[in-house]
Amino acid sequence: MLAVIVSGLAIGAVYAAAALAYNVMFSTSKVLSVTTGHLFMLGSVFGAWFIGTLGWPIPLGLLGAIAVGAAFGWLTEIVAVRRVLARSDEHLWLLSTLALATMGQQAVGLWWGTEPRPFPRLIEQDFASGLADQKYWLPIGLVLVLALGLELFYRGTLWGKLFQATSEDAFAARARGIATDRVRSFSYLLAGALGGLAGFAAGQLTFAFFALGLQLTLFGFIALAVGGLGSNLGALVGGTALGLLSSVASYFFGGEFQHTIAVGLLMVVLLVKPEGLFGAKRVRPV
Amino acid sequence: MSTNARNLALAAAGALALLTLPYWAKDLYWLHLATLIGAYWILIAGLNLVTGYAGQLSIGHVGLLAVGAYGFAILAGTHGLDPFLSLLLCGALGGIAGLLLGLPSLRLPGFYFAMATMAFALIVTELSLALGGLTGGGTGLSVPGFPSPMNSPWGYYWLVLAVAAGVTWLTWNVARFMWGRALIAIRDSEVAAASAGIGLFRLKLTVFVFSGITAGIGGGLFASLQSYITPDTFVFEIGLFFFVCIIIGGRGTILGPFIGTVILTALPEIVAPLAKLGAFFYGLMLLIVVLLIPEGVGRLVEVLIRRFRGEPHRSHEVKPDLPRLASVLARKEDAA
Repeated sequence: MLAVIVSGLAIGAVYAAAALAYNVMFSTSKVLSVTTGHLFMLGSVFGAWFIGTLGWPIPLGLLGAIAVGAAFGWLTEIVAVRRVLARSDEHLWLLSTLALATMGQQAVGLWWGTEPRPFPRLIEQDFASGLADQKYWLPIGLVLVLALGLELFYRGTLWGKLFQATSEDAFAARARGIATDRVRSFSYLLAGALGGLAGFAAGQLTFAFFALGLQLTLFGFIALAVGGLGSNLGALVGGTALGLLSSVASYFFGGEFQHTIAVGLLMVVLLVKPEGLFGAKRVRPV
Repeated sequence: MSTNARNLALAAAGALALLTLPYWAKDLYWLHLATLIGAYWILIAGLNLVTGYAGQLSIGHVGLLAVGAYGFAILAGTHGLDPFLSLLLCGALGGIAGLLLGLPSLRLPGFYFAMATMAFALIVTELSLALGGLTGGGTGLSVPGFPSPMNSPWGYYWLVLAVAAGVTWLTWNVARFMWGRALIAIRDSEVAAASAGIGLFRLKLTVFVFSGITAGIGGGLFASLQSYITPDTFVFEIGLFFFVCIIIGGRGTILGPFIGTVILTALPEIVAPLAKLGAFFYGLMLLIVVLLIPEGVGRLVEVLIRRFRGEPHRSHEVKPDLPRLASVLARKEDAA
């Protein structure tokens, strides 16, 4: 049973990291990007390629994975978000990010293959170390560090305050002389780096798999919707709850009902508390 | 009146070409492709009302297709029911699935709805693997064909064509009267539509259930055409394909998505390298259309035709009419 809880916490940490990445991008642009999960997929696939295939040293591979994730995040902003937001049709960003996500996933599928491949060991450790295995605690530790780091960044640095100002009211921020476009670009870069890093750290748990992106886009979104849109604490709680629930449920019912249970959780939360556990109440759009 | 007559002639020629396709198609493969397009179109015509008219971005309609296909395989195959009765029951099954999916998810705003439909598609695939006793699990099910006149490729093509024509006629009727106007109003502004007395949720749900029914029927015909189905037949990328067909064709029309369906189904079959790219190609098409021509290819063609015919670009610039001004001023001076 302990094994079930630990693995649930670990996969929940990955969902929470995806929800954090959603939040970073949503705060500055009010866009929920379908490419969010694909940032993690790129981090794990390119990490495995750099270290496993090309034989780079691990720190260099880590930097490479972060760079690839950041580049894709930035590409998302340039290609799929900037032009669409300028035209301000509320549905189009969903289509453009969906298109980019599909292209990214299929390109990786064609190049890397559609079978999951193992991710190289990052730290010397015996494979028989059971629950203390690095594939569990690496993502858990990382997501805590990421959430703490984001909080410090938002509260403690000038850039973080620019982020918050843009997120509160982009027009007012613009009027105060903040280059909101640049803040938005930077937030996508940041979310990409975050996704690349988390995908790299969780690589041993999730494997380097091309279809991981769509999976994490959905599960990260469910974690976010359960925890409350815009809240980083909510992202952590929602991710952990979702991870624990799906791992306990697969322990009792078998692994075939993962999606059904996750969506069930989403529907229950949305029915009882539509804004999520820690979300701000939505105003009626009149 | 002349454009009307010409449109009528064009429509008649198109209908005749579709009806006589088995006689001039090069080989059976083309006939199979045309039948496949027909089966897809039955689903897409219903989805068009949801996505193209009402603006609800359902990217997971492949789940409803799978419900219809498995329903047909189980009812007509495992239980040996009459295929036509099974097809009707498939429609009902798809409608019920649409109702169950629509009841919670249509209340949600855009992105939430899209994610819910995507999750539905994944759930259906998951369940079709999990419920092995019913669906054959990963090995799949073989699907029976239709009785005598429809068991040849020609007969089956005409059956699909008849159903597709019926569905198209239904959606056309919905689209051009009050319902269609109400759907477009919902797409353009939910708040404005509600203030004009449109029952948002009820209308959306009705149309969604209708699209579920057509998806169920389309799924039954699709399964019988493929003659063997596995969970791998209904990957999420097919749902994306349906969606792209509508967006590319242009929202708010019926002809546009139809052309989109024909082109997007036939193109990878004709140009072999595109088939290898698969969903990458659909993603690229979607991105290009969204970024460059968000109104769809149909609109682009319209603009090109206008330019080709040399119709003058209507200008809204106001030019001062100087001679007339001078004459008015001169008259005033005369009066004074």
